[in-house]
Amino acid sequence: MQTVHNPSMQEAAEALISNLLASEAFIRYQQAQACLKEDRQARTLLEQLSQAQADLRKKQANSGVTQAEIDALRTLQEQVQHNKVILTYAQTQQEAVNFLREINNEISQLLGINFASFATHASC
Amino acid sequence: MEDMVFENIEIASPSVVKQAARDFAAALAETQQFKAFEQTAYAFRQDQVAQQAMQAYQQKQESLRAMLMLNALSVEQRAELERLQSAFISQPVVQEYFTAQAELATLCQALGDALSESIGLNYVAACGVSCCG
Repeated sequence: MQTVHNPSMQEAAEALISNLLASEAFIRYQQAQACLKEDRQARTLLEQLSQAQADLRKKQANSGVTQAEIDALRTLQEQVQHNKVILTYAQTQQEAVNFLREINNEISQLLGINFASFATHASC
Repeated sequence: MEDMVFENIEIASPSVVKQAARDFAAALAETQQFKAFEQTAYAFRQDQVAQQAMQAYQQKQESLRAMLMLNALSVEQRAELERLQSAFISQPVVQEYFTAQAELATLCQALGDALSESIGLNYVAACGVSCCG
């Protein structure tokens, strides 16, 4: 928090961070994240899916994609969707995101501005 | 979903976290940046000349929207749009408002970055805001 020189602002931000991290949504998310980190099979699956998607995009732009390549991608997608560790990670992440949106609404209502919109780094 | 173990973990209830969010908002509302933003926004809303200049610019922009999207404005249309924009943003209250808005944004960005870094999620992206606001 380099540019936040106001002590009470910094204190309030730190309190919000520690409360967020202690919320059920974030504890679940952190636990799921740790499980994913520990699970080599799940991580490999995600890496393979990401690579296959990138390869397919490249091929779509250049030459064309074969049915076999599309089938291989679908198989990988199904494996990812049925992997319990990945599924739990995705679900808990979504719950943490939903909770964060509630928190942003709470902040924004009091201020009369959308805090997240002001926190955006305009890059386009 | 898989059951998770919460033994020996002190959980903050949603109401406690929301109270911390309201405290955070209250602290932000007390900053010099937020107060300046509110003051300049009020002055801008009250300034008839600035409001008329804004409306004239926005109306012209709206009437040329299709051509703007196609990047097909004539030289005259572009010059007129630029003249109206300049007349709008050169108003002292508008400049003060934009300056205060930028300073508040700098503070909010620092706070948003600190939140993102600590919670392991991009706060702005999670809240569904793109880089274009």
